[in-house]
Amino acid sequence: MANEGQPVTVQRVEPSLNPVQDEDLDQYGEELSGLTIVDVDVHVDDTLMFMLDYMEGHFRKRMETVLQADFKGEPGNSLRNMIAHIAWLGSSYDKPPRAKLATKEDLLARMEKGIIDYSILFPSELLPIGYLPEPEWAAALATAYNQYMVDAYKNLEGVKIAIVVAPQQPARAALEIDRHAGHPDVVSVCIPDAGVNPPIGDEKYWPIFEAAARHDLPISFHGIEALIHDNYPLRVAHFHTLMQVNSMGFPFTSMLQIMSVVCAGIPVRFPNLKFAILEAGLTWMPFIMYRLDAAYLRYRTELPALEKKPSEYIRDWYIGTHELEALPRRGDLAKLIDLYQGRDTTMWASDWPHLERDLIAGFMRYEMDDALRRKILGENALRFFGLTARK
Amino acid sequence: MSSEKPRSGSRRPRRKIPVARLSDFPAGTRMEVSVGSVQIAVFNVEGDFFALFGRCPHQSAPLSRGRLQGTVICNADTCWETEWAHEGEVLVCPGHGMEYDIRSGKAFGYDLRLRTYEVSVEDGQVFIVM
Ligand code: FES
Repeated sequence: MANEGQPVTVQRVEPSLNPVQDEDLDQYGEELSGLTIVDVDVHVDDTLMFMLDYMEGHFRKRMETVLQADFKGEPGNSLRNMIAHIAWLGSSYDKPPRAKLATKEDLLARMEKGIIDYSILFPSELLPIGYLPEPEWAAALATAYNQYMVDAYKNLEGVKIAIVVAPQQPARAALEIDRHAGHPDVVSVCIPDAGVNPPIGDEKYWPIFEAAARHDLPISFHGIEALIHDNYPLRVAHFHTLMQVNSMGFPFTSMLQIMSVVCAGIPVRFPNLKFAILEAGLTWMPFIMYRLDAAYLRYRTELPALEKKPSEYIRDWYIGTHELEALPRRGDLAKLIDLYQGRDTTMWASDWPHLERDLIAGFMRYEMDDALRRKILGENALRFFGLTARK
Repeated sequence: MSSEKPRSGSRRPRRKIPVARLSDFPAGTRMEVSVGSVQIAVFNVEGDFFALFGRCPHQSAPLSRGRLQGTVICNADTCWETEWAHEGEVLVCPGHGMEYDIRSGKAFGYDLRLRTYEVSVEDGQVFIVM
């Protein structure tokens, strides 16, 4: 019912060519002000063209060729799109409007609203380098990305960086960690392991974990659709629609990463290492924790290094809320978090500016106690990334 | 014209909210109307006016900013063949792309209907009726 006294405003608006991005923050600005807000999964999408200057020799030449490819009408659009999305290009009939490629200026404009205290930048185009067949090419891309990011995004208030390593070359990945871990704006190392063989817990990769542990640099696994490769972690090449691949690719990638790392005893061997899992939603967490516990009862002797149940390691993993599932009741999220014991490990993540990004209303619609909301919106992330509160 | 039948027995006073002069609201344009905290998206689609609840139930993106296009359908009427249909009458949420029938507010593929509002035009003035 409309009361006579309610203020009415009318404005003419235009259809948005890009998905609406930042209005969601404005909408909740008042409610969020005064709280520490850390967005733990943020991307900029224009890094490839700048990386060129950080590449040498034949890889520089190859990068020039990549940048010439005119994909989706945008020269130099992401390698990620090129190798991952081409199979389903157009399957959503350009709905929603395609994501705008976010630049440094877009990121700073979002930060200037003064609502978000920290944005943690994760690679975008480089997320699938785990399944590049040529280890040297993958490693060259990672090296160029890291140096570019550290040069271009250092000393920006509230902007922090996750470097990326190519798991195919563990020794070089460890060097990469040694090179950047001491930088005050580098807060995590992202291991893009989808597509690698053997799985990421394998002894082959331990130099990466060792280096991260040595520098006390937390490790982040960031999900991807795992679209085209046909080995670890999931054969998704058989599905005909992006919807099936996308909805299962992320959580299955994440579950297999967790299983592989925990069952390899890595948390026992490197007890100070912290892990996070991003972009896979949350609902599968209880499944993998307690499913492994049930199997552990029968197969414990296969994993003699473990000193406690798998779930007791996994509950220490941090987890980003994006892609947050739409649970039917407003109280369901808090219940779910209790189920996986995640009050101190769940961290709000938007995935800005990607198409799948969560608007903050998606999280705020859930009811929970204020203490839990504060932890998820910022406090847990401060602890995971070793940041100090700005407010 | 979009219309919502008054619920029988409803004695709520109805309020007419002026949106714009007809001359300022040509075909192909849209207005975002806020009444208190409620947002309403009003469209002029080739001379027909439609008013719908303005916030997407998914994650609250403003529907007034959605594009109008068609969509794919596949049902007994199309003999279960996929066809492009409803060109210009499907409101696409600018958040993540949920689609709504501009006429009825019905979401394609969901058992969900946005509230719609009656629009009236009197003496060259466009109103929504709440
Ligand atoms: S907000 Fe409308 S589809 Fe997400």
